[in-house]
Amino acid sequence: MKIDMKNVGAWFDDRLALTPIFKYMTKKEVPQHEHSIWYYTGSSILLFLAIQIVTGIMLALYYKPTLEGANDSVARIMTEMPLGWLVRSIHSWSATFMIAFVMIHLLAIWFTKSYRKPREATWMTGMMLLVVSMVFGFTGYLLPWDDLSLSATKVGTNIPNAIPVVGKWVTQFLRGGDDVTGDTLTRFFLFHVCILPLVIFAVMAVHILLVQKEGMSVPLEAEIKKKKVPSLPFWPNFILREVMIWLVLLGTLMTVALVFAPSLGPSADLMSPAPAGVKPEWYFLFLFQTLKIFPGNMGPVTGEFVAVVLILLAVVAIFFLPFIDNKPEGKKGKIINYLGVLGVIYAIVFSIWSLL
Amino acid sequence: MRGIRIVILLAAAALLLSPFLAARPVQAPQGGGAGAVSATIAPPQGGGAGAASATIAPPQGGGAGAASATTATPQTAKIEAAPAAPAPAKKPAKKAPEKRTETIVPAFTGIKEQTAVYVFYAWLWLSIVVLIYFLRLWVRESDRVYHAKYYEPEESPRKANPLPQVLGD
Amino acid sequence: MRIDNAYFTRRKFLNSILGGWLGALAVTFVSPIVKFVWPPYKEPDEVKLAFADYSGMKPGDVKGFAWGVKPGLLKRAEDGSFIAFVGVCSHLDCNVSWMADKKKFFCACHEGWYDENGTNIAGPPPRPLRRLETSVEGEDFFVRKPGAVVKS
Repeated sequence: MKIDMKNVGAWFDDRLALTPIFKYMTKKEVPQHEHSIWYYTGSSILLFLAIQIVTGIMLALYYKPTLEGANDSVARIMTEMPLGWLVRSIHSWSATFMIAFVMIHLLAIWFTKSYRKPREATWMTGMMLLVVSMVFGFTGYLLPWDDLSLSATKVGTNIPNAIPVVGKWVTQFLRGGDDVTGDTLTRFFLFHVCILPLVIFAVMAVHILLVQKEGMSVPLEAEIKKKKVPSLPFWPNFILREVMIWLVLLGTLMTVALVFAPSLGPSADLMSPAPAGVKPEWYFLFLFQTLKIFPGNMGPVTGEFVAVVLILLAVVAIFFLPFIDNKPEGKKGKIINYLGVLGVIYAIVFSIWSLL
Repeated sequence: MRGIRIVILLAAAALLLSPFLAARPVQAPQGGGAGAVSATIAPPQGGGAGAASATIAPPQGGGAGAASATTATPQTAKIEAAPAAPAPAKKPAKKAPEKRTETIVPAFTGIKEQTAVYVFYAWLWLSIVVLIYFLRLWVRESDRVYHAKYYEPEESPRKANPLPQVLGD
Repeated sequence: MRIDNAYFTRRKFLNSILGGWLGALAVTFVSPIVKFVWPPYKEPDEVKLAFADYSGMKPGDVKGFAWGVKPGLLKRAEDGSFIAFVGVCSHLDCNVSWMADKKKFFCACHEGWYDENGTNIAGPPPRPLRRLETSVEGEDFFVRKPGAVVKS
């Protein structure tokens, strides 16, 4: 029997039943309308995640997650390994790009109201993915163990303390104790390379399956007026366009990583005071500033407590947005849109403010 | 068929038994085997531990080794010497490597590497431009094919086409 | 030139160019990744030691030194010269030890024996111990790879 691609494919297909998957890919249709461009944000996130995994594994080959070895191992990667500094730079910039695209994706879904029925569960898994991505960024930021990252982690892991009842335990769980130590570093490394990848794969699988099951959403007006939106097949038409976008994003990422490669400060000293200009990564800046503006004492509680509670309430509200915005075409829907714009302005203004 | 099976069995047996059948002088003295494990002179150990912790190990490693080698064969003495030997060998040998105080700035290791990377980036962007050029053609073609319902012959102008689909694609 | 029915069409041609270029691009990504993943560590070409540490060796003594990350063994021959071995068994890379009472090198992993010149005499080792060149220059004691040309 001749061995060629057709027969090999048939062998697998007999045992794995792959044909339905390919058939589905050709049958799946992507609507084409003025807001179709936002459909590309989801797969861009996948592209950056893939880049993170590849560069992350390369870095993890030589990284040592202990207090004594962390900074030196990153220094070794940057100086001794061939183009190690570029691998680290790509990993760092791809994190920024990925979280930026996660936020763009969130805003696109918000303003097109794609979270409405039947896609509520997709929105909620998406919010979980947002939280997981930001925790990825937070845990990864500590790993080089230089002064800036140590201070940022001290501040960041102190925040859960303000949560009533469980706050202290959360902080102790994050830090591996009451203070930030070498144990914190090892723990963050474990989160970053083992626990969080498992979580993100699981939640992402559900998210993507839900997207396939419910199909691509169409704009609100089309649904209300029951207009038929022209569409294109996912394979090959949409995929080819996606590949174009991926190529441009890949080139941009690599160029930015080459030109703006991050440097590495000396190893953090647990005893020395916080350096001037300590700040978290850019995606946490607006939260950082929000915490700063609350006064130290507000009546019987600290300002930090009030700020943390407010932020938590906001996050929970956004998590349940599909249920809050249950009449998207009505007045409430318009208000939610304005709130979204307000949220964007708040985030941008506060982020810039925190840098001044 | 039976003959082939016998040949295969014999070959497998030969393969499995070969380590035992290979002719070689066996000379490991039994007492030496047991004693050797504990009677190792520290230089390999001291050298190893020293090399791991500092660049100048041999004096300390050798010194500690000589000290433990002179306490001859009794095994207990060896075992006591063994933990003792690495410990003093480590303390003087381990000059804590000076803590780095400068920031490490990413840089190329040489002009060859720099040129190679820039050439790679030029090739990357050239490829992106070329690929996007072809992808646009491909997108246009696939859109045209879709709108002409090429793959759904019942509704397409192809329905009268007697040629099988495999031809040309 | 117009061909009415063709097995190789313009579509196939364009597909192959696109696929081929995409493949070439992917391949150029592989090489730097491979270079990064396969560690660049090599054995040193030469190691400089302080002669003072070894000048007191008696003929027949064996002392260790660091040959990169491997153990090296320095033996003082009867005539006063030094022989340097890489103290790694030629069988499966275990570190060998010197048994002064038997004047043999012994590898504990699979009970391999080498005589005082490093020749394999018993057990599984297929080759003798690797030798290195030594030279004394003033206060420094150099151990070099045989035949290595070291830029000073």
